Amino acid sequence: MTGKHVFYALLLTVGGLVVQSTLFGESRINPFGAAPNLVLLLVVICAAYLEPEPALLVAFTSGLLMDLLGGSTIGLWAIAMLVAAYVTLRMRRRIDDGIVVVAAGVLGLSVLGQAIFAIASTLFGQQVFADPGWYRQIVLPSLYNVAFAAILIPVVSRVMGGRQVRRLV
Amino acid sequence: MEPFRRFDRSTSLFIGLLIVSFLAATIDVRSQGAGIGDTLRDGTQSLFSPLQQAASVVTRPIVGFVDGISNIAGLREENDRLRDRVGELEAQAEDFAGLQNRLVELERINNLEPPGDVADITAQIFSVGVSSFDHIRWIDVGSDDGVVAGHTVIDEDGLVGRVDFVNATTARVRLISDPRNGVGVRDLDTNETGLIEGQGSGLLRLRMFNPEEPVEEGHLIVTEGGRYAPGVVVGRVAESATAEAGFSLITDVNAAVDFTRIDFVKVLVGWLPSDFSGPPEPGDPIPDAPEPFRGS
Repeated sequence: MTGKHVFYALLLTVGGLVVQSTLFGESRINPFGAAPNLVLLLVVICAAYLEPEPALLVAFTSGLLMDLLGGSTIGLWAIAMLVAAYVTLRMRRRIDDGIVVVAAGVLGLSVLGQAIFAIASTLFGQQVFADPGWYRQIVLPSLYNVAFAAILIPVVSRVMGGRQVRRLV
Repeated sequence: MEPFRRFDRSTSLFIGLLIVSFLAATIDVRSQGAGIGDTLRDGTQSLFSPLQQAASVVTRPIVGFVDGISNIAGLREENDRLRDRVGELEAQAEDFAGLQNRLVELERINNLEPPGDVADITAQIFSVGVSSFDHIRWIDVGSDDGVVAGHTVIDEDGLVGRVDFVNATTARVRLISDPRNGVGVRDLDTNETGLIEGQGSGLLRLRMFNPEEPVEEGHLIVTEGGRYAPGVVVGRVAESATAEAGFSLITDVNAAVDFTRIDFVKVLVGWLPSDFSGPPEPGDPIPDAPEPFRGS
């Protein structure tokens, strides 16, 4: 693991952020009123490859950028990304258990990240749960993330040198 | 699970970064959209705007293509629906003259004739929120174009939202569907006032100040003034409602604007909100006095 890989991971998440904010969401591609959370997905995938400390720093930076470019209070997405990355770091050996476990992991971590954001937002007065479709905003992006994982895992694997997940895809 | 020993340092880092994040959130909330938070937003947006605008040029045709594909399935159903609708409209056309007179009268009562002289500038949306929880849009005009935080944003159908952050070349619009947004409104049919609150992806929620006066389905709701330019169409009441036990009158409103389809918007730079506190820059045009405005 080198600084080059950390740089690549940051580049990937920044790219994901630009695509996320221009291609997906309201007024863009938004099937059933929700869009994938590509940045969260990329943070989770990158955390499977990076060393723990760089993985957490990449997650924190990505979350902070989401906060700064989005409409939320600064720090809330950073919290969600950190938790998702940390849990990924603790669970990543399970990747060897098979593709179903990877898919379930992506789904679970996406739900976790989105839910942590919704709860943190509520604590800081953002009224996420005032939306009658709040559960849809948590579940649907997570399901889309599973679909996008099939595309992004090989991409990240190639960029990172395919240390862990390559065997599965 | 990886051995705990390997995570000693990373766990410390994790907890440290969590604390930093909570502190950042607390400071940002306490500063209420000013201070270091806005400086960071300004810098980040300045860096990302060119990237997002370039990406938007590339992604726009993709979005259009996907939109077109998704619409094909609904075209037949839409065709049938439109046939029925034409029949209904033909029947309603007979009442049109009467309705028009009524509208003119209401506008006169509420002093809502379109002045046509409220300065506005057209802007294009180049970026949306970064997650499904965001109800914002980034537009390609900023303080260089005379936009300030608080300006009302409309499109051809009615009220879109309010500018809540500005840098030199871009501005962030918080949609009225955002649960943190509240809009003072008036029911044009009863002349009663109330408050519209966003519910994210759901309908807008209307809370009337006078619960004694019922609201009926189809009533036109316009902005009252204050934080938003007055007389802009917000939407129509989705469901008739009467007061519950005489304490409150709450119902839903269909927004006039389809938030999933807005692309170009107008910023009413000639109208300043009541809570505008920023000092005018030297050489800035003197804004018009608050005048009623009705979205076209």
